[in-house]
Amino acid sequence: MKILIVEDEIELQKVVQQSLEKEKYLVEFANNYASALDKIIGFDYDCILLDINLPDGSGMDLLREIKKLHKQDAVIIVSAKDSVDDKVEGLNLGADDYLAKPFHLAELHARINSAIRRNNQHGEKYIIFKNVKINPEDRNVFVNDVLINLNRKEYDMLYYFMIRPGKTLQKTTLAESIWGDHIEDADSFDFIYSQIKNLRKKLKQSNAEIDFQAVYGIGYKLV
Amino acid sequence: MRISLKYYTLKYLIIALLGVIAIWSGIFYAFILDEVNDNIDDGLKDQKIQIIRQAFIDESVLNTTEFGLNQFRITQVDSIQYQPLNKFENKMFFMEYDGENEPYRILTTGFIDKDGGFRKLEIRTSTVEEDDFGINLLIALFVLYVFIIVGIFFINKIVLDRAWSPFYDILKRMNQYQFGNKRTLVENNQKIMEFYELQNEIQTLVERNEHTFLTQKNFIENASHELQTPLAISLSKIDFLLENEDLDNKTQKQFIEIKSSLKRMKSLNKSLLMLSKIDNNQFDEKVLVNWNVVFKTVLQDFEDILSYKDINVSVDEKAQFETNANLYLIEILISNLLRNAIKYIGNEKKIVVIISENAFQISNSGNHIALNPNYIFNRFYKSGADETSTGLGLSIVQSIVKQHPDLQIQYHFSKNFHQFKVVSSNS
Repeated sequence: MKILIVEDEIELQKVVQQSLEKEKYLVEFANNYASALDKIIGFDYDCILLDINLPDGSGMDLLREIKKLHKQDAVIIVSAKDSVDDKVEGLNLGADDYLAKPFHLAELHARINSAIRRNNQHGEKYIIFKNVKINPEDRNVFVNDVLINLNRKEYDMLYYFMIRPGKTLQKTTLAESIWGDHIEDADSFDFIYSQIKNLRKKLKQSNAEIDFQAVYGIGYKLV
Repeated sequence: MRISLKYYTLKYLIIALLGVIAIWSGIFYAFILDEVNDNIDDGLKDQKIQIIRQAFIDESVLNTTEFGLNQFRITQVDSIQYQPLNKFENKMFFMEYDGENEPYRILTTGFIDKDGGFRKLEIRTSTVEEDDFGINLLIALFVLYVFIIVGIFFINKIVLDRAWSPFYDILKRMNQYQFGNKRTLVENNQKIMEFYELQNEIQTLVERNEHTFLTQKNFIENASHELQTPLAISLSKIDFLLENEDLDNKTQKQFIEIKSSLKRMKSLNKSLLMLSKIDNNQFDEKVLVNWNVVFKTVLQDFEDILSYKDINVSVDEKAQFETNANLYLIEILISNLLRNAIKYIGNEKKIVVIISENAFQISNSGNHIALNPNYIFNRFYKSGADETSTGLGLSIVQSIVKQHPDLQIQYHFSKNFHQFKVVSSNS
């Protein structure tokens, strides 16, 4: 899996690169419009992380170029602006997702994962861990190939865990990524705990081999 | 008490005129009266000559010893009492006509008759009419005074109205003026120099203020913007560190604490950015918004947290509440109000939403303490030391309301319920 990071902030680009490389992605980067365009024309990527504000141009223009070249690369816009207009414009231009700075790395992974999956018809269709299988396309979850019933939020939560099993997910990240800003920090621990408890109960009932392990004071990981 | 400029000048004019007219009429009255008395005296002197002449021709005249038809009397006196000089005096005589004493002017003099006898002559004439004349004069002066005052009042009003009309025009425009909208102050074409300068000064002042305000607003927006990237870097680096499985739990927890502080900064920053975007009119696209629908959408986002917190939400839709507004802003407004209600929910755990034809009202049970409506919408105002609050949620609500001139927000506290009500004046 090849990913291109178009980002002019070297520090941010470095940390994103490190984190993605840990997930076995092949990462390349460009820190201005010209070199980004060079790379986009010259190579194919599975996913492009595109910053809107570049020193010598706009990410929106790059997006237009990508679409003009009929490239199949999945594009996630990363912007410090967090404005509705940008979001709408970007998605209309054919971006796959929009992520506002600052973001959680866990959320970035989830977005990249689903963007690549949606985009890649020939790739792996399912996310599988132990005897649990997720089909992100129609949001179905199977345990031992038996469909189980999860509500929207429960599915989202499981998806976050499934794409990176064994990695600790912080409860604040979970709360923010799935429930938005509605939950205050003070509430998130108990709230996530009760949500995890429900999900765990459903998984147990269908004899799933996966379980959530609490990491004291931080969050949970899927084992 | 404030009085209008018109009446202010009139007040002094009336007092000054009263004084001037009083003094003038006093002098005028004295002159006229003197002239009248002079006339009467001349008449009496003329009568004296005629009577004396008559007395020489017709001796029977000398026998007129009482005032009767002739209004004179002649008495015989000795040489000691004889007084040939004219002496005038005012005296009261009984008048049968109205049964009272009335004022008379009397001329006392003396003459020597044909036979060499000393005579004293007294001639009188009634001055009742002259008294009436004085009263009439006073009335006439008063009428004149009133006429002058009324005249001055109207002239004053017309002239001042005309002369000051540019001033009232400037006042009106200042009234209509809204911050950030310079259109109400059009180009300066005042003909009167003072008003020209006044408008010039006002325009300069307005422009300077707007410029300062704009710079400040831009500063907040830029500062918030610029903070996003370092925040993103810090948060991502901590995330990355936390993914390192070798870290012991204690260190991890400390990183989590750093992260939660950074997250607070992030949400503060986000709210500030939101506020300045709203104030900069970046959400001016308006459509017909149905609050009932928006509220239900927003409520869905909160369902999990509401059921987790065991909060009872009752919704009473009396009618469809529709206004012309920016959809995104109304979503934020409702979601901020709902979040506020959840955050400050009391032990009763109840939220009541009432949507009527022209109002959206959300109330939540509280802790028996009313909030101060003068402060709750202020930026960074927090009731108590709340660590998780940015203190910006309700100011965003207010900024949104201010973006929609037909909307108003009210806060009430009654029966232990905090009540926030958005009212539309247009339906």
